[in-house]
Amino acid sequence: MATKQGFFSRLFDGKHAVISIPYFWFIMLAAIPILIILKISLSEMQGTSVSNMIDWSNGWPKLTLNFSSYQFIFSDSLYLKTYLSSIQYALLTTLICLVIGYPFAYFMARSPKHLQPMLLMLIMLPFWTSFLLRIYAWKTLLENNGIINNALMSLGVIDTPIAMMNTSFSLMVGMVYSYLPFMILPLYANLSKLDIRYLEAAADLGTSPFKAFWLITVPLSKAGIIAGSMLVFIPTIGEYVIPELLGGSSTLMIGRVLWNEFFSNNDWPMASAVAVVMILLILVPMAIYNKSQAEAEAK
Amino acid sequence: MATAPKEINQPAPEVLLRVENVTKIYDGTVKAVDDVSLTVNKGEIFALLGGSGCGKSTLLRMMAGFETPTKGKIHLAGQDITNLPPYQRPINMMFQSYALFPHLSVWENIAFGLKRDGMPKGQIAERVEKMLNLAQLGKFAQRKPHQLSGGQQQRVALVRSLAKRPQLLLLDEPLGALDKKLRETTQLELVNIIEEVGVTCVLVTHDQEEAMTMASRIAVMSEGYFLQVGEPDTVYEMPNSRKVADFIGNVNIFDGVIEEDEADHVTVRCPECVHYVGHGVSGHTGMEVGVALRPEKIMLSDKKPKGEYNWCQGEVIEIVYFGAHTTYHLKLDSGKVIKAQELNNTRDLSCGLTWGDRAYAHWNDLAMVVLAQ
Amino acid sequence: MSQATNNKIFSNLWMVVVYLFLYLPILTLVVYSFNDSKLISTWTHASLRWYEALIKDDDLISAVLLSLKIAGISALMSVFFGTFTAFALNRYKRFKGRTLLSSMASMPLVMPDVIVGLSLLLMIISVQHWLGFPDKGLFTILLGHALLGTAYATVVVTSRLREMDGRLDEAAMDLGCKPWQVFHLVTFPLLLPALVSAFLLTFTLSFDDVVLSSFLSGPGYSTMPMVIFSRARLGLNPTINAVATVTIVVVTCAVIASSFYTSHQARKRKREEAQAYSDSNK
Repeated sequence: MATKQGFFSRLFDGKHAVISIPYFWFIMLAAIPILIILKISLSEMQGTSVSNMIDWSNGWPKLTLNFSSYQFIFSDSLYLKTYLSSIQYALLTTLICLVIGYPFAYFMARSPKHLQPMLLMLIMLPFWTSFLLRIYAWKTLLENNGIINNALMSLGVIDTPIAMMNTSFSLMVGMVYSYLPFMILPLYANLSKLDIRYLEAAADLGTSPFKAFWLITVPLSKAGIIAGSMLVFIPTIGEYVIPELLGGSSTLMIGRVLWNEFFSNNDWPMASAVAVVMILLILVPMAIYNKSQAEAEAK
Repeated sequence: MATAPKEINQPAPEVLLRVENVTKIYDGTVKAVDDVSLTVNKGEIFALLGGSGCGKSTLLRMMAGFETPTKGKIHLAGQDITNLPPYQRPINMMFQSYALFPHLSVWENIAFGLKRDGMPKGQIAERVEKMLNLAQLGKFAQRKPHQLSGGQQQRVALVRSLAKRPQLLLLDEPLGALDKKLRETTQLELVNIIEEVGVTCVLVTHDQEEAMTMASRIAVMSEGYFLQVGEPDTVYEMPNSRKVADFIGNVNIFDGVIEEDEADHVTVRCPECVHYVGHGVSGHTGMEVGVALRPEKIMLSDKKPKGEYNWCQGEVIEIVYFGAHTTYHLKLDSGKVIKAQELNNTRDLSCGLTWGDRAYAHWNDLAMVVLAQ
Repeated sequence: MSQATNNKIFSNLWMVVVYLFLYLPILTLVVYSFNDSKLISTWTHASLRWYEALIKDDDLISAVLLSLKIAGISALMSVFFGTFTAFALNRYKRFKGRTLLSSMASMPLVMPDVIVGLSLLLMIISVQHWLGFPDKGLFTILLGHALLGTAYATVVVTSRLREMDGRLDEAAMDLGCKPWQVFHLVTFPLLLPALVSAFLLTFTLSFDDVVLSSFLSGPGYSTMPMVIFSRARLGLNPTINAVATVTIVVVTCAVIASSFYTSHQARKRKREEAQAYSDSNK
């Protein structure tokens, strides 16, 4: 019944000004650029520039769609393998973050109330310090002549350094490390709201704590699990910096392929096609995430 | 049908607010307010009473200027204010849950409207001082709203809306945010302050007690239009429809047919009993009507009343004790259940009726109201 | 030992290990920035030589200054556009294209940086073909960072707008405020804390970004993360530890100070509310 429209339409000289400013901003910088990569992905390189999709030379527009980049992506096994391994790495990262993060968030939500703000701040703090520098720090730790190997050797545990850098292991360490807070925060927000009386009621009805955890706590925190998983899964698919610094050439990640197509090969249509396929890949988890968010909001 | 007593030989009151055929339609289809007209006289406290979604808030917001009517006009003191923005209307509002500015002190909250008017500093200080005294909040001037109790916040909200000396004060559920016990005392304080200032008020509430005790006239609203407008006792004792009778207080309604229609009385035959109504009604013999009878007007006894009218017999099936009174549920032989309310005016528990007893309910010939179907 | 104590020990241990995992890299960065050795991983003895090297490192210093400049300006832009977006999405529940606006506003949050960078760059090149400007450089980096920042600022401002009582604006208007006065006297002061945190968040994001900058920067414009990234790709470099330590110390102090301040304010408020309640019951 009470709408704010009546008076806010008079604020800033009308609602249209308020709406059109962000609209213009995002159309220019978000919508048009996406359409442009879509367009370029359907062209091919001619020398140093991209072929024209619409040809006016005959006096009327002639549309030429060039699917060669897409054909290449779907015929060359390297691209498919890279997409697949990106998804695998992202899934594995999500799973490990969940396994580490869920108990952590659960214990955090159960810790004394006055300690919780500090525990929360300690999770957020690394987020505020440079992501790039923290990844660099892992490099100094994991190198063959890095801190961990040096320490182990000087303790006499090993004779020759363990090769940890530029492997799937170092990549996973970096990804889990960077994205763990994104798993913990929504889970904690969800679990800290869980009403303890549900568990008391379950105990009262004769459920063991272990069973109550699986029957009550986990189902009720479903929204948090989905939110956390998507917040980890979606950005890790297209991650570039971590594989570049920690993964080495043997780990295949699609973000690096895009980068190389653009910067090393100068193949803009190919880079654009890789990007378009990546966007399509991300739309699926995005839709899941939006649905669960909308459901959580409706409650 | 029941009509309000006409006021004769009184000087015509000065009309302050006139709402003419106002309609508000949202999104082209939802009729929130449907062709409503009303006048509010100077010095009056007028209540808009109704359930949620009845359109009372929309009507109030149109008076304040937050909504514009789809159709119709609003006049204040003869001036058309229909399309005037809220900041140009000499009307102020006390908002539901107060809407005190959390970043400003009590003093600054009260001075807020005065500063917008460009009043000189000295006068502002003087006026704010007066308002603080009125609300007995002198020593809280420098506090922020969250440092006040609910009752204190409510008084700040009231004097903030009074500070500009508006011609009309709007009150949106003024007691809604307070708990039950606080309500009674606060209600009195509120009325005292309003009467001291002498401002005309329109009040929106869903609480019939609040409307009855505070207002000089009440409009009962439902689905966007007025069911009845009148003084509180008129609306209570002479509801003009089943809906109003039902909405205001408890009521027993007997369905029946007019059997005798005379100038000084009518009789209505119902399956349970025959009602003898001691005044004429506008109807005709054979017309189907409802007879509304308030529970507190029914007397119970274990002896059969004299005469053939205005009593019925039944079994006590429920007794609900309220302290000051007790409500008995009587199942009549027809299966209909009526409620009768007996005052507990002695300490031994009343008339000695108990569950399962047969009892007679009777009432006098001016106790009921005849309503058209 | 009882089951409960066992559980307690297990949960505490779990939390300690996770915190160690989160803080171990940061700690080694700081500790080894004071290492005298040229080999980053072999501890010789404490010294400040890498801090001296940092001061003399003109490339890095000018990159830091450029990054600060970009972060400051782009954060202002982000807060500006983010506030408008949040107002549009929250004050007007129904308008044509609301869904489109809200999905465009969340796009930079979910798209990988490489896609945002690539698409923006190709758009800028098209515009350049067509109009002759803008050249790649400071302006184009600012656009990229401000786009990303707007998306984040929108989230922050939205959450504040949602908890703000819409009646406050109406009350201001009722008391005689013209529309712009409502914003200036009521909405803005109440929104200010959210605007500050949006600024700090988007500043940090910009100061940290390497991917968008790499796509959008032109010759002569290397931000601090770009310099660090290119050195880190080549190998280890103790000067990076020094610069890392400086930023970590600054950020940590700021975060701790602000979180102490907010929790102090919250406690104070609770106390005062309790006081007001008990006063009124006397």
